[in-house]
Parts: sequence; C-alpha cells; structure tokens
Amino acid sequence: MIEFINVCKNYPSGTHALNNVSLTVDKGEFVFIVGASGAGKSTFLKLIMHEEEATSGEIIVNGKKLSRMKRRQIPYLRRHMGIVFQDFRLIDKMNVFDNVAFAMRAIGVNQSTIKKRVPYILKLVGLEGKAKSRPAELSGGEQQRVSLARALVNNPEIIIADEPTGNIDPEMSYEIIELLNEINRQGTTILVVTHEHDLVRHFHQRVIELDHGRVVGDSASNDDFDETELLIKHEDLLLEETLK
Amino acid sequence: MGISSFGYLIKEGVKNVWNNRIMSIASICVLISCLVLTGSAVLLSMNVAKVVESVGDSNETTIYLKDNVSDVEAAYIGKDLQKLSNIATVEFYSKEEAFKEYESVLGDEIFANLQGDDNPLPDAYHISMVDLSEYEQTVAQITAIDGVDSVSNRSEIAKRLTSINNLVATVSLWVVLALTIISLFIISNTIRMTMYSRRFEISIMKSVGATNAFVRIPFIIEGMLMGLISAVISTVALYFLYNGIMGVITNIIPFTSIPIESVIVYAAVAFLVCGMFIGAVGGFISIRKYLKKEGNEILGW
Repeated sequence: MIEFINVCKNYPSGTHALNNVSLTVDKGEFVFIVGASGAGKSTFLKLIMHEEEATSGEIIVNGKKLSRMKRRQIPYLRRHMGIVFQDFRLIDKMNVFDNVAFAMRAIGVNQSTIKKRVPYILKLVGLEGKAKSRPAELSGGEQQRVSLARALVNNPEIIIADEPTGNIDPEMSYEIIELLNEINRQGTTILVVTHEHDLVRHFHQRVIELDHGRVVGDSASNDDFDETELLIKHEDLLLEETLK
Repeated sequence: MGISSFGYLIKEGVKNVWNNRIMSIASICVLISCLVLTGSAVLLSMNVAKVVESVGDSNETTIYLKDNVSDVEAAYIGKDLQKLSNIATVEFYSKEEAFKEYESVLGDEIFANLQGDDNPLPDAYHISMVDLSEYEQTVAQITAIDGVDSVSNRSEIAKRLTSINNLVATVSLWVVLALTIISLFIISNTIRMTMYSRRFEISIMKSVGATNAFVRIPFIIEGMLMGLISAVISTVALYFLYNGIMGVITNIIPFTSIPIESVIVYAAVAFLVCGMFIGAVGGFISIRKYLKKEGNEILGW
C-alpha cells in the first residue's frame, strides 16, 4: 500500500528531514509512528500526501510512483486518503453535517449521495444526534470525531492521522484510537502519528520510531522490539528537549 | 462535473460576494466607475465622429474650371470627377448660376454690364468627399484633370477635424485600457481577500482531493458576479448620465447627438461581456498563487 525506498528529504533551509528511509506498510495495517519533534514524522506524512516531494529515493502509494506523478493527478491520489488533523480543522461557520459533506462536495459528489452517506458516517462515529450542531458547541473528542467522519466519508483506503489525540483528554483519546481500530478491522490502512505512549502501549499495533530522519525502530521487522523500552527512551528524549 | 456540483459552486461564488460584502461593494463601485467612464469615452468619440462627418458633408469643395472650357469638356470633367474613389457627390455649378447668386447678394447695378459672354465667373463643380483625411491626395488627383483651374482650399478644416477625431479616439482607447487594468487590479485584490478568509476551506478541499479547477470556480464566479452587478448598474447610470450631459451640451453647441436609445443595448451587452470577463480574469489571477501552495502553506503556517 505504501512503500518508501531509500527516501531522503532535504529542505532548502538545509534541514535533512528524512535520511535514507526504507519501509513498507501493507494494505490493512495499523501503524503508529512515534518520535521526538523534529524526527521527521510530519515530513513522512507530507510525502505520502504528496504535499512535498522526496529529494531522492522513491515513494509508492497504491502502486503509483509519486516521483512520476503529474501535478493534475495529485488530487486523485488524495481521494484514496482521509486526513485527520491534531487541531481538527473544522469550519466554524458550518454545522457538523456540512463539515462532513464539505469533503464530498469538494470532489463533486452529488447531493443525493451526500444526503445518504453523511448520516451513515455520523452514526458510525457516534455523532448521529449532532448533525445540526456547530463545532464550537462540541467537546474536543466530539470535534475530533467530526474530523474523523470527514476523513472517512469518501471511503478512503488509507487514514492518515497526525496527532489525532493531541488536543483531547486521555479518556477520549482511547475512544478515538478504538474507533480507528474499528475502521482498520474493516480493511482500511491506518497511519497514526502520536506522542501518547500509553496509547501505543495499550493497542499493541505496529510501531515505527523515527529519530533525526531515520527509522530507528520498527516492531514489524524486529521480533525483539521492546515497545516499553522504546517508549521510555522516547520519553527521555522528550524530557531532554523540554529541559533544553 | 454534475449539475448539483455546478449549482453548489455557483452558490459558493454568491456566498463569497455576500460574506465579503464591504470589499465587494467597493470593487463593484470601482468597476461601475470604470465601465461608465469607458462607455462615456466611447460615446464621446462616436459623437465627435458624427460631428466631423456632418461638417465634412456640409463642407463642399468647389472646383473651378478654366475659362476656355466648353460645355462638352465640362461634362467630361464631371465624369472624370465621378470616377475618383474618394468623391461622394458631384454637382455642376454653372457660371450663370454663380452670377445669379452674386447678383442677389451684391445688387443689380454692379453686374449690369457683365452678363452673357462678359460674365467673368468660371464654371465650377461642387463635390463632397468620402474621407476628409484623404483630402490632399484627392485634390492632387482633381488638379491633374485637364481643364481644372483651381480647387477651393479646405484642407485646414479637413485636417483639423480629422485630428480632433483621431485625438478623441486615441484618448478614449487609453482611458479604456487604463480603466481595465485598474478594474482588474481592484477585483483581483478583493478576491484575494475572500480567498484569505477562506484559506482554511481551500486547504481542506485540497487535502481531500479537490481539483484545482474545482477550487478555482467559486472565485471566478465571485468575480463574474461582481462584473454582472456592475454592468447592470453601469447601463442604468450611463443612460441617465448621457441624457443629462447631452442636454446641457446641445444647449451650448447645437448639434444632433446620437440618441442613447439607439446604443444602450450595445452598451449593456458590452458592459456585461467586459464586466464579467474582467471579473473572471481577476478571480483567475488571484487564485493562481494559492493553488501552487500545499497543506499548511495555504494557511501561512
């Protein structure tokens, strides 16, 4: 589903965001991507969404080489993906229904399909009674569910969640990841970037750890991979950063 | 793209104008001024052209024939004159007719001994030209005809009228050009502001896979709608403004101006086409920069 072959990404500022990254995420997998800030997690996601282009190496998404993709083909690549943001990115002046429908309207889906599909998705994320509410009237967890509903509504093959639990309380965080787990069980590939180590520990999914642009740990390729150790090391890194 | 999508995009375009109404009104006002000024410049140019034409028509040129030219020769000269391409009308004006005219103006006594063969006046032709700007070339062709003595000198009037007409046309053209650029600038700036306020939506649209064309259409519709509103108001404004101004001018300089009723439909169509075209181009220009951006860049983060 997603393949990185010796991918490097350097920014014009001189930052080496990714350094010779090679990995594969299969269809239907659930992967946590962890790492300190500046480790290259965001760049990793941007490369998959083709918001950035790799400096060298090759990225293959859904069987398509991104380096050979023309500009006008990019929107169609993104239609296979659903993006969930840390800050939800909901449109304040639209109600929940319209926020979700917006993703369908933006790709030209007709009104009758929207009317059928949106209530179904809202029910799936447990927001069936909130269609007419404005984002400001919802809790953080509910807003993230709307964001998730919007990512799901076009029936994507991959869900990319960038710190989806960063702005919500721990209890809600579990619910959101559980919801992603549920979606994953129906065959959708899930990539979750997170700092929440308890969550990663709790869900026992594949974990890829990035550090200074390199893959320094991958629970799929290493049987001795000690999740607990990894995360303690990770927490130490964070602590170090905070102290600095 | 389905009909419901198209309806949605039009609705979004209308919403853009409404949500950003203060700036939209400002743009519409600027566009109205531009369209009305442009329309006025064109109408002024048309009126001057009409005056030049009517003055040109009424200013006949007189061609005097030599004394020894017989009636038959004079008739041949008339035929030669008619063959010239720039000559519209040719009318023979005999020495007897000239004599009678002078006599009626100056009195019988002076001319008492000058009748018949003693008439000192020459036979002549009164002609009018198609294009006064070619006056000199035509006069050269006329004087080359055998038996033509001289041509009354109207070249100064012809030159002056033609240069006024050319000046008005040139100034009008520059006014139109300058105002078009100003309108484009104002409209694209307004749309850029709408776009800034909707950058969040644009970033979401792009992240879910909206094509650039789909993102662009509401902003182009916004521009076209502003053009449409401006065109309608400009047509009404031009109608009343023209009638008012022409009323004042024709009181000072009596001439038959072009009636607004005969041109207002053309003006309305031209305003609609120009207004909507300028609006569409303004929208197109302002979104171009945004469409090249990706993700957080659109939000300026």
